Order: sequence, then C-alpha cells, then structure tokens
Amino acid sequence: MNLADLWLALLGFLLAGYFVLGGADYGVQMLAGNGRARLLGGLGPFYFGNEVWLVGALAVLIGAFPRLEGSLLPGFAPLFVPLVAALALGKAGVQLRGRAAGGAGRRFWTVCVVAGGVIPAAAFGMIFGLLLTGLPLRADGGFDLGWAMVAGPFVLACGLALTAVFAAHGLMFARLRVPGRAPARPGPVLAVAAVAVAGAALLGVGTARPTQPGAAVALAAAMVAVLGAAWWAARRGRAGWAFAATGVAAALPVVLLGAATHPYVLLGAGGTGMTVAEGAADEASLAVLSAFGLVVLPLVLAVQAWTWWRFRRPAEGPAYL
Amino acid sequence: MDILDLARLQFTVTTGLHWLFVIFSLGLAPLVAVLHTLAVRSRDPETRARRLRMTRFWGQLYVINYAVGLVTGLVMEFQLGLSWSGFTKFAGNVIGAPLALEALVAFFAESTFLGLWIFGWGRLRPGLHAALIWLVTLTAYASAYWILVVNAFMQMPAGLEVRDGVARLADAGALLGSPNAILALIHVSSAALLAGGLFMAGVSAYRLRRATTEPAGFRFSLRLGTAVAAVAVIPTAVVGNLQFPLMIDKQPMKVLLFTHVPTGELQARLAARYGPGDYVPPYWAELGEETMLYLGYVLGLFSLCALLLVFRDLLVRHRAVAVVAVLAAGNSMGEFAGGLVFGAPGPHRLEVYLACNVLAAALLLYRPRSERALAAALVAAAPLPFVAALAGWVMREVGRQPWLVYGHLKVEDGLSPVTWGTMLASTVTFIGVLAVLAVADWILILRFARREPAEAHLGAVAAEPRHEPERDKLTLETL
Repeated sequence: MNLADLWLALLGFLLAGYFVLGGADYGVQMLAGNGRARLLGGLGPFYFGNEVWLVGALAVLIGAFPRLEGSLLPGFAPLFVPLVAALALGKAGVQLRGRAAGGAGRRFWTVCVVAGGVIPAAAFGMIFGLLLTGLPLRADGGFDLGWAMVAGPFVLACGLALTAVFAAHGLMFARLRVPGRAPARPGPVLAVAAVAVAGAALLGVGTARPTQPGAAVALAAAMVAVLGAAWWAARRGRAGWAFAATGVAAALPVVLLGAATHPYVLLGAGGTGMTVAEGAADEASLAVLSAFGLVVLPLVLAVQAWTWWRFRRPAEGPAYL
Repeated sequence: MDILDLARLQFTVTTGLHWLFVIFSLGLAPLVAVLHTLAVRSRDPETRARRLRMTRFWGQLYVINYAVGLVTGLVMEFQLGLSWSGFTKFAGNVIGAPLALEALVAFFAESTFLGLWIFGWGRLRPGLHAALIWLVTLTAYASAYWILVVNAFMQMPAGLEVRDGVARLADAGALLGSPNAILALIHVSSAALLAGGLFMAGVSAYRLRRATTEPAGFRFSLRLGTAVAAVAVIPTAVVGNLQFPLMIDKQPMKVLLFTHVPTGELQARLAARYGPGDYVPPYWAELGEETMLYLGYVLGLFSLCALLLVFRDLLVRHRAVAVVAVLAAGNSMGEFAGGLVFGAPGPHRLEVYLACNVLAAALLLYRPRSERALAAALVAAAPLPFVAALAGWVMREVGRQPWLVYGHLKVEDGLSPVTWGTMLASTVTFIGVLAVLAVADWILILRFARREPAEAHLGAVAAEPRHEPERDKLTLETL
C-alpha cells in the first residue's frame, strides 16, 4: 500500500465519519422545525467537533488529491454552492438561534437550521448519485454538469435516500440524547429511509454504470438491512443499538461509492476514469503531510472520543444550543 | 463583469469578512483565557464568582463571533476549489499540505476544544476547564501560522521547483520557515491583540459610563484591555516595518507604488521577463497602505495615552514606576507622532520625542477634566483596529496583483473552468449569505455587550452538579 492509497483510505474514513456525526446533526436539524427546536439542546458539545470532519476531508482532498479536487469542486459547483451556503446558514443558526431576543429572530434562525439540514443532505446524495453514474470527463479531468444529468431520476432518488437516512439517524440520536423531547414513533421515518434506499438502488441498476455493480447492490442491500435492524432495536427500547445501526447506514454510502467505482476515484462515462495515482499529489508532498497528519490525527480523535465519553449521558435541563 | 471579476469580487468580500472575524477571535481568545485563569486561581469566593461572570461575559462575545467566523472559513475552503482550481492544480503539491494541516491540526482541534469549553461550565474540573480555553487560543494561533505559510507562498514563493507547469515541493524548510510567514504572523498576532484589547477597553468604558451591576469587573476589564493594547501596538508597528526590506527584495513593484516612485522602468523590465501585461497593482493598494499606516500611528499614540490615564491612580502613588512609565510611553509615542506628522518617523526626532515625553508627564500630573471624554474616545477607537487590519490586508493582497503566486501564476490563470452563470450564482449566493450572517452576528455581539455579565447564556447551566454522584450507573444502559 503506497502513501496515496493510505491517504485515500483516510479521506474515506473522514468522509464516513462526517456522514455518521454530521449526518446526525443534519437529521436533528431537519426535525427541529415545527416548534421542536428544543431537540437542538441534545446536539451538545459534539456539534462543534462534527462539522470539522468535513473540513478535514476537504483538507485531505486539497492536500493529498489536488488534481481530483481541481476536477471535483468546479464540476459539482451547481450542487456545492447551495450545499455550502445552506451549511453556513444552518451551522450559524444552530449556535445563534438561542441568542435571538424576539420571535422574528428565532423564526429566521429556525428556517436556517432546517434548511441547513435538508439541503446539504440532499446535495450530498445527488453528488454521490452522479459519481456512481459516471461523468462526461474532458481531457483535463474537468466536466460540465447538464441539468438533465442533475435532475435524472436516479440522482434525485439518491438525494432523497440520503436525506431520509440522515433524518432517521438524527431521530435515533435525539431519542438517545433528549429522550423526553424526541418524537415517540421512529417507524415511519425508518420505513421512508429503507424504501428510498431500495428505490434508489433499483433505479441505479438501470442507470448507473459502476465498475463493480455487484458490490454496489450488496452494499445498498446492507443499508436496507441495517435500517431494519434499527427499527427492530428501537422497538425493543434499545436506543443505543438503534443509533449504532442508523450510524452504519449513514456511513455505508461512502463505502459503497469507494467500492463501486474501484479502481477509479472519479468515474468517467466510458467505464474508465481518474485513478488514485492520477488524482494524488507528489510523493514528497504526501510525505510532509504524513509526517504531521498521521501524528496529529490520532490525538484529535482521542480528544473527540473523550468528549463523547464525558458527555455520554442524556442532556437534561437548559442547554446552550 | 467577466468571470475573473466575479471570482475576485467573491473572494474579496468573503475573505474580507472572514478576516474581521479572525482578528476578533485571535484578539479576544487570549484575554478570555487570562480572565478564566485568574478566576479559577482566586481564593476569595466573591472575587472568584465575579471573575467567572466576567469570563462568561467576554467568552459569550467570543463564542457568538466564532459561530459565523467558522462558517466564513468553511465557505473560503470550498471556494478555493470552486473558483480557483487553477491555483490548486498549479500549487496543490506545495500549499496542499499546509492547508490540510491548518484544517486538521487547528480547525479540527479548535472546534472540539471550544465545544468542550462551552459545555464544560459546571461539568468539568475548573483547572481543566480553563486549560481548554488556552487550547482554543493555541490552536487558533496555530491555524493562523499554517494559513500564513500559504499566503507567504503566494507573496514570496519559496521552497518550490516548477516542472511541467506544476509547482513541486523542493524544500519543506524554506516553505515552513519563510520569513514572510513568520513576520506576518507576529504582525497579525499583535495587531489582533491590539484590536482585542481596544475592543475590551471600549466596551468596558461604555458599560462603566452607564449603570452596571459589575463596576469592579468592568474596571478590571478596562485595565486589562488598555494594557494589552498599549503593549501590543509596539510589536505591531516594529514588525510591520520589518516587512519592508523583504518587500524591496522580493516585491519591488509594491515598494515603488507605496513610495510614489515612477513604475515605468520596472514595468518594462517585468514585461520583458514575463511577457506582455500590466504589472502595476491598482492604485488602491496604496490607499490601503496609507489608511493602515495613519490609523496605526493614531492608535499607537492613543493606546499609550490611554494606558497612562487608565492606570493614573496606580502610577501617581509610586514615583519611580511613574517615571519609567512616562519615559517608556513618551518615547514610544514619539515614534508614532513623528509618523503622524511627517508621514514617516524621521525628521525632527529630538523635538518630537521631547514633546511626547512632556505630554506623557502632563497626562499623569494634570488630571484631565473629563473622564467622559476618555470613555467616549475609547468607544470610538474600538472599531479602528479592524479598519486598519482590513486596510493592511488590502495593501498586502491588492499589492500582489497581477500575481496569484508572485512571479509564477497570474490571477487570471488560477481561475476554475466554470461558466459565467455558475460564477455569478455562487458570487451572489455566498456574498448574500455571508453578509446577512455577518450583520446578524455583529448585532448579536453588540446586544450581548449591553447585557449584564450574569445574563450571559454561556455557562448559565453552571448550577448543575459538577460531578455525577453515581459513576458506574450508565444512563445509556441500552448501549
């Protein structure tokens, strides 16, 4: 395994970690409309550490895969712009909603909070759908998204599926952290998520052309299965296990994308694409990055793990968020 | 407007906003950390409670600022890829590592520690809790270092070799130890401390002029803020000046522009070397330089006068200390006054220094008529360091034009291959969203600055028990 593969694995780890942690935030934010803003109190100190997994993933993309990043971000600009804008509104809204003095201010920030949950989740799902479909790559590695591609049924289904999975995951998080305030019945949200994932998978069999279709179908089936397991655990009052199961469902899309497009990091239209080596930085740059990053990352993870452990009990009473 | 103009407008507005939040963060975080440490170290319960309330007050303002500062940073990071992929494709091998480390080391750690600090009130041991805000401060400054390494690379590229039109890292030491980055870090850190100190002094002066339940707390904050500002303004000026010799060597065009020397000859030489094009930065780079310098002189003079006036009661009681203070402040003031009067601290140095020493002594000997005037001046001065910081940033970055990476990559060649419509949409969206968030955030900061410290939301749950009595009984028994 060379350094580029190692950093690709790290990129996948950070992104999957972000989907598990940030996905729960998005889910809670989606549920926090309709006078249920007190759910936000359960986000606790974790909230601050979560979004930075995305920043970390982006940093690894820039640092270790500058050429992949140079294609990916401008190409997906029509989706990344609303994603980042909504992310900014939501992130600020969660922290500032409680500071607002009047009803109008609170309503404004609540809209930001909910939009900041739905739009990024849907946009990430659609980006994943497009990456699985294969992109019309130019010789310089760039590509242009047509509206017909973005609005394709499979791509939209992926957006819906990821949104539903995050909503289910956020619901399980809320049931664990603020049991008294969370919606009592998890069944409908989990059912929508499972149906959406299965629907996207069925549409994908017809439209997407991944290099490893078998792996893609198997992992989509695994997502439906863990959502079922979450429902089973939630019915038996095992809130922790239910949250763990939806967490696996939230992480699996990253594994699915990596496995289904192997050995490419960016899938082209004709069954080929950009390989790991083509997307990665020079060995010398990766060595500098490794020297610092691989020492620092475990330290940061240790601090976050300590945070989760220290604040593992349900949040009671008034909370800052 | 073409794509290039839009991309530059977008980057200017988002970076400028981000820059203001950064200055506030870097300036206020160490002051909050000092207050928190003093609080947990005080033995007298009343003093301790008062200092904790003041920590919560200033910490609350810091945290509100951080909420939007963080998201402006997030937008910046995406924008680099969305609008400027030509830059990451050319320089990604070199700047990718420091950028990634900025996020991994600093951003990642800073947010985690801040979350713990916000939620740690009443839940963590006091010493550990105060250590967390120091870790937030440390990681914020580490973040500044890594990002200035990238900026220094754009200004005065070092440690690279260009093969096949792509920059490659040849000397990591030259990149990470770039004198441009180190000097800029010291200059920016001290300027941020000046801004944080004057902000704290300004808000405290405002609160002391009105009825407050915390007169003692705000008097202490006034002194802390004024002292930090007066100390920080000196390295800000000194290290700011130290950057000029580097500039003469590496960016002569900037220097010609700032010193009003005709640029025609250098323009012809650069055109012969790099091909046809305009190598003279826009005139408003110089506008930034002048604004920054004059505000710097004014703030230098003002901070030192304010120091003498705010500490007057203490100083007049100890004659030896008062003499030292007058000489130290008076002679430093001489440097700023010379700059203010003559444009540069050179001519008539002896007379200017003498006058400033007399002024410093007079401030201590004759009680100024109106404390209200001092308070009003402190309030009026609070926003000025932020204006100066923006002006300094304009000077540095507009003065870099037309280069994105000096001597290697022009701004127009760093652009992403996106359509005009996409660039327009992203520009309108990002500027709109960030402007709304910034204004809303500043309104909240001002509103919380007018509240009593005991009313801060931060740490308001401190009444909860500090340690869970039943350690082994998991509430998550379900896991």
